[in-house]
Amino acid sequence: MPLEMAKYLGLFVSEAGDHLAKLGAELVHLESVCEDGPQVAALVDGLFRHVHSLKGMAASMELEGTAALAHRAEDLVEPFRRRGQAPDPESVDVLLAAIDGLGALVQRAGAGESGEADPALLARLTAAAERARMDAPMGRGASPSAALLHRAVEVEVEVSPSCPVPSVRAFLVVKKLCRLGELVRAVPGVEDLKAGRLPQRRLSLVLATAEPLGEVERALAQISDLAAVEVREATSPAPLPALAAAPARSPAADPPRPAEEAARTVRVRVDLLDSFLDAVGELILATSRLREIGRALPEAHRPPLEDGVDRLHATVKDLHDKVMAVRMTPLAVVTDRLPRTARDLARRIGKQVEVEVRGAEIEIDRAVLDELGDPLLHLVRNAIDHGLEAPAERLGAGKSATGHVTLSARRERDRVLIEIADDGRGMDPERLRRAAIEKGALTASAARALGDREALLLACLPGVSTAREVTELSGRGVGLDAVKKSVEALGGALEIDTARGRGTRFVLRLPLTVAVQQVLLVQVAGEVLALPIAKVHGAAQVELAALDASQGAPVLPYDGGLVPVRDLGALLGFGGARPAACSVVVADGDGGPVGLAVDALLGQQEAVLKPLQRPFDLVGGLSAVTVLASGRPVFVLDVLRLVTA
Amino acid sequence: MTDAVITSAVGREADPRGIESPMTKRVLIVDDAIFMRNMIKDIFAGGGFEIVGEAANGLEALEKYKELRPDLTTMDIVMPFKSGIEATREIVKVDPQAVIVMCSALGQESLVMEAIEAGASDFIVKPFKAEDVLSVVKKVLGD
Repeated sequence: MPLEMAKYLGLFVSEAGDHLAKLGAELVHLESVCEDGPQVAALVDGLFRHVHSLKGMAASMELEGTAALAHRAEDLVEPFRRRGQAPDPESVDVLLAAIDGLGALVQRAGAGESGEADPALLARLTAAAERARMDAPMGRGASPSAALLHRAVEVEVEVSPSCPVPSVRAFLVVKKLCRLGELVRAVPGVEDLKAGRLPQRRLSLVLATAEPLGEVERALAQISDLAAVEVREATSPAPLPALAAAPARSPAADPPRPAEEAARTVRVRVDLLDSFLDAVGELILATSRLREIGRALPEAHRPPLEDGVDRLHATVKDLHDKVMAVRMTPLAVVTDRLPRTARDLARRIGKQVEVEVRGAEIEIDRAVLDELGDPLLHLVRNAIDHGLEAPAERLGAGKSATGHVTLSARRERDRVLIEIADDGRGMDPERLRRAAIEKGALTASAARALGDREALLLACLPGVSTAREVTELSGRGVGLDAVKKSVEALGGALEIDTARGRGTRFVLRLPLTVAVQQVLLVQVAGEVLALPIAKVHGAAQVELAALDASQGAPVLPYDGGLVPVRDLGALLGFGGARPAACSVVVADGDGGPVGLAVDALLGQQEAVLKPLQRPFDLVGGLSAVTVLASGRPVFVLDVLRLVTA
Repeated sequence: MTDAVITSAVGREADPRGIESPMTKRVLIVDDAIFMRNMIKDIFAGGGFEIVGEAANGLEALEKYKELRPDLTTMDIVMPFKSGIEATREIVKVDPQAVIVMCSALGQESLVMEAIEAGASDFIVKPFKAEDVLSVVKKVLGD
């Protein structure tokens, strides 16, 4: 890769990854659309566009192996696109293999290695493309395989002063040139042209094309009203489409995609966004600090300072909201790959599945999303592997042979609900109770005391599994255990709902963001600590000595039951005795609510959470750190890990 | 675009429809106003083109196009039953190499761009002069 292109590498890897993920998702989606029609034609067009963009990008990066592989994949899609027909299952298999191959090459490129495409894969693609073309009723004959790789051509035109509508003329130029290749950049952009803007009647654009200059010139010669035309090879490699100053779409014949047309976007590295959030967090703290200082000033000096601080506070708050909004990312980032995975898995184990994703456009904080990929993947695998029956069994039960798994997401105030539902055999709470008892996770009486819904959550205990045999794909117990832990670590909750023979539904309730949380400040042995409010049920003032004891530990009557009370100071290893009168905070523990005895409750506040640095991240029971208005750092406790430690 | 021109030029020799001289281009005129059709007809006749058909709306245009396969179609934008944009889109679907020139008026810029996206090859703006119209179509036909 040429040195000057190295700075585009990160963008290339991320954008190529997007194209590959969409390719995979659309391929699988295509298979579920039964009849050829406009919908299929649009989807196949989409496939072509993704492969085509990828090819152009790889060629610009001079990643020849990647470009060559993308080129063969494009050759395979092309005959189907021409016919507006969905690729046959064999072709889909080959294309999926190509997507994997491309993914691997892109990853290697990201690591600074160049790689060659697997010759066997190239041969498979060529053979499949050959076959697809043979089937073509109106095949155009020779494949464009032999064509040159794309390179950048710069075009400048000036619309003649006699033209009454120069921007329309320029628009025609853009559209005609798009038929020869891919528009990398147009100044002014297509949107500007549509709005009638063409300063100085000049249009300059960069086209990634495999056509010789003469072809480009010939296309331009057919357009009237051009006072000046200049076409030349670009001296530097074409910039990646992502860097284009103006929105560019290609090839020209694509149907307009509203989302793309509307949004002009730039790509930003996630760590840069994180640093913004950090900086804004610092600003919030500094503002509170100023306010504190103001309180100590003589009365006469206060109003002007307070006025300024108020204004600063409002601005910082606004900035914070905007930064948070920028960090919001659609769920699609993690759900797009699910149908593909589902298809592969189902094919491997001889089941038929249709996966539907709803609400993928819902936006969640990047930090939450990053932790969500594996749990969702696991739940979908789980549904296919254990939830759905084999086709014969389904038919026997009066169901369709194809099982359905639906992932749907929706907003509910400041939470996001994600449901993964299948229409399979359902889970059996009784079997789970027996399994939990056998594994010694629960006593027989405790198991019997559980309601059915709670019993279902036993599946999340390590080692408790109802799967008759644990398969290599998803050993149910261990996986669900991990899913529940991840969801809870995010401040969310997992619920399971099932109906025998009708299916199972997993519901994940998640916060939209984790970076800012409401915390309860408590005092223990002179230290101030924070508990996430999401985990807190309530609090009570008690005389510790007056509490009843059960199995040697005090218990607090709470919400119609008894809650075991633990001394937070002791849990944290602080010395010293509790004052006789203290407060008990009731929080979510592992097996139900648990009471934490503290010296005093100090109040509730919004806290900007920062991840722990070494060595604090090694301390169990701490989840983050926040800084109070006074500048004092306060640890945020991970209640769950604290009480199980 | 270039493809289109090459194919139509090569196709002409063997084209069974072409009984006229190989240089004479066949034109279909689509406009809902008889006045406009007559004016455009005169311009093309004066430029040595053969007018093979006329249509007064988008539906008719599509039918006539399929029947006549002209070298060039002039297309009004706003017409009853089916707009020129719709008709263009459907004609291009039938014949991706169709050469369609939109007849527009000032103030219709966004409609013209829509027509270009639908597959129109070029456009002329009313009021137009004969020489301008002929120059646009000759260019677009690659002469």
